[in-house]
Amino acid sequence: MAAVAAEEANLYQIDLGNLTAFDSHDPGASATSSEEELVKECLEKGTRLVQAIADKLFSLPSTPDKEGPLVQLPTPTTPIPREKPLPKAKPPTKWEVFAQSKGIKKRKRSKHLYDEPSGEWKRRHGYNRAGDENDIPIIEAKPTDEPGEDPFSKKKTEKKARVQKNEKSQLENLKKAAKVGALPSTVQLAATSLPITGTRDIPKKVGKDDLGHAAGFASSATASVGKFDERLPGEKTPKHPGKHRKFLPVVEGSGIGSREKQQCEKVLQKVLSSHNHDILNVDKAVKVFTVNEERNAHQKRKDRPAHQNRKDRPAHQKLKKRPAHQKHGDRPAHQKQKDRRKS
Amino acid sequence: MRPLDEEETTVVFEKLHKFVGTNLKHIVERPSGEGPDMKTGGLYCFRMHKNRVYYVSEALVKRATNISRERLVSLGTCIGKFTKSGKFQLTIQSLDLLAAHAKRKIWLKPTSEMSFLYGNHVLKGGLGRITENTAQNEGVVIFSMSDVPLGFGVAAKSTQDCRKLDPNAIVAYHQSDIGEYLRIEDEL
Repeated sequence: MAAVAAEEANLYQIDLGNLTAFDSHDPGASATSSEEELVKECLEKGTRLVQAIADKLFSLPSTPDKEGPLVQLPTPTTPIPREKPLPKAKPPTKWEVFAQSKGIKKRKRSKHLYDEPSGEWKRRHGYNRAGDENDIPIIEAKPTDEPGEDPFSKKKTEKKARVQKNEKSQLENLKKAAKVGALPSTVQLAATSLPITGTRDIPKKVGKDDLGHAAGFASSATASVGKFDERLPGEKTPKHPGKHRKFLPVVEGSGIGSREKQQCEKVLQKVLSSHNHDILNVDKAVKVFTVNEERNAHQKRKDRPAHQNRKDRPAHQKLKKRPAHQKHGDRPAHQKQKDRRKS
Repeated sequence: MRPLDEEETTVVFEKLHKFVGTNLKHIVERPSGEGPDMKTGGLYCFRMHKNRVYYVSEALVKRATNISRERLVSLGTCIGKFTKSGKFQLTIQSLDLLAAHAKRKIWLKPTSEMSFLYGNHVLKGGLGRITENTAQNEGVVIFSMSDVPLGFGVAAKSTQDCRKLDPNAIVAYHQSDIGEYLRIEDEL
């Protein structure tokens, strides 16, 4: 059995990197066989091929893992075709054309340079670079120098001009690339904001929705606005992405004209019911409630029988009206109370 | 000129409801007593024209249809306008309507009337009377002591809080006043 399997495995071309197997010796299904037989045959062949892949997989050296043995797949051998077309070649920039004609070749320059004033090795470009113009403390005067000219500011303006010129030529090269449709992907989104394509967007591929809209517009562009046109099988009703507002008639009538009244009524009910809770004024309700409560309590005290009151009170503690001179004494209120208790 | 759609009607009614409360019903179902169908009861209705909302009797709407849209300047009472962002603002012309149905009112002392008519807020010092149980942020119509409507605004403090305020505190925020007939005459 194992020998048969090994023989079969040799028969097939197995690409473990892609987890695929091919049987190049298979003559293919005969044209006369029925569909059922065909399916059966395909399934059989498929299982055999999958089995061959599995056999090969388990023969690979594996490391144990939580989920089971783990296998490192070899690099795939079968080349698979690209999904997307190759990107378009970028047209050569103006400099590249010039360099070609003059035979100028790019040569590698070292990243680091020796910086004499500081006596250090520094990078050629960027922050803290060698020979940075901004860091020069003194510029030697030359006999050709014009009097009254600041050499520092002159250098600054010259540098700015150079940067501007470079930007300009960069944009020109990008414009050329945009015409061919070879804009680098990093610039594509900014193409309208940069002065490359003007205000025109880069033409996009027509999507499914766009096709649907186009079909909708086309089908409604007839004398009957698409009402009496026969639809093709599978064609959907046209879409109207634009909002069509319809207003009720200006003057109240009998048919559709009476709808405004209904609408008004409906909205009125909605507005009034949404503010329904305002009917109850909580502050006022609380006030009324507390007043009632107090009144009830007061009533109860009053309703208590008179003889009971007399019994509760000790006989000697009779409430007396105080003499007038004592009442308006200059002692504070709590002192007065104390006095009363003493008596 | 066209009737309001449902959304616009809701916005307008909500705004009116702030000032008139349940009296909104009387505004919407107000018989006009005008035109040929006087007996059957023609009503007042709301119409939109050039972003402004008008409160018009139906009989007048019928007659106004004779005038083309470009030539029609105004009809009935303009009660407010829709802003470009879809909000609704009441204008001073709506004062008569609001004053007749107002739920919350503020009466101004004669000394502070002019200040309000110049577009200032209502201060506690100028407050003559105020409707009981006015809550904060409710719409109030502002009257002079002789019951002449002067404008409308929003209550900055509830009636309870008003009692304890110092004289310079704001009681009601100014929204519109009849001084606007002079101040922004050409915008109305």
